[in-house]
Amino acid sequence: MNCRVLILSFFFILQACSTGSTKPPENLLSLTEAQMKIRSYQTRVFDLSDQQKTLRAVVSALMDLGFIVERVNAPLGLVTAAKFAGSGHSGFVEATVTIKPKGENQVEIRANAIFNTKPIEDPKVYQNFFSTLQKSLFSS
Amino acid sequence: MLFAALLTSCNTMPKPESFFQLSPSSAKYKALQSRIIETSKDTELLSASAAVLQDLGFQIEESNTYAGMLRAVKERSAREYSQEIGRVFVFILGIFAQTAIVIPVDLHQQIAATLVMHPIENSSSRFNVRIVFHRTIWKSDGSSGSQAIPPGLQSMEMIYDAKIYQQFFAKLSKSVFLEIHQI
Repeated sequence: MNCRVLILSFFFILQACSTGSTKPPENLLSLTEAQMKIRSYQTRVFDLSDQQKTLRAVVSALMDLGFIVERVNAPLGLVTAAKFAGSGHSGFVEATVTIKPKGENQVEIRANAIFNTKPIEDPKVYQNFFSTLQKSLFSS
Repeated sequence: MLFAALLTSCNTMPKPESFFQLSPSSAKYKALQSRIIETSKDTELLSASAAVLQDLGFQIEESNTYAGMLRAVKERSAREYSQEIGRVFVFILGIFAQTAIVIPVDLHQQIAATLVMHPIENSSSRFNVRIVFHRTIWKSDGSSGSQAIPPGLQSMEMIYDAKIYQQFFAKLSKSVFLEIHQI
């Protein structure tokens, strides 16, 4: 009996200690070097001045890739699309593309994607997207 | 072991590199889903497209004139006789094995259409219209003896039936004509 009380009290002390140390890390919202790297390969600058044409080309590229375009916000230059992937549609890919004018004759396009709630951080994935987008931008 | 290996091979996750790579059939699907329509105004074309989708029983969920986009959905029952017969057949087989087996069947479906259009280069009166149809299916729940098979198993498929696209574009051509002539 005494042993049981001892184990229980030890457990409560442990729990009390653990609740005291659940402070969020200080660098939770700070930009790390890795994030800057990810951002750099998610972004490309194109020599284009027509924002509307660029937006339509982004939508077209996503549709070519089998994505379903869910939302388009023209003033923000934002396109959100998603598709099921894999055998038996076991995976779900979501992509967000933003189009921002850069100066008078350039646009900055940033794409980021998640696969089954996990962010995709492989640069090759974004290279493939931009190569498809390039075809769509300069063929229509 | 062999069964387990087969199961894992069936459920292999795709490589992320393939998500943004054009598939060999993407050009074929694009041709199937696109048509060139002659009209002077893009708003007329978009409004004619919305009218066709409404005629087909769709509800317009989102429209964006700047991007030349429409998104519409319609809800329908997904029950099929073949699946119901299969369910009864399995249930009868289960009685012989002294277990009540109720296999899940397709219950409900949402058919969605995404339409985009853009003017063709060097032409003010010709537009490229592309529509993509796809459907999401929800299955019913099931059970095997005392073990329940959870409901809500969802699957999604793109619709590549050429006839559906031909019918849509035939209706759209008529609708554009009516829209232009205000009929």
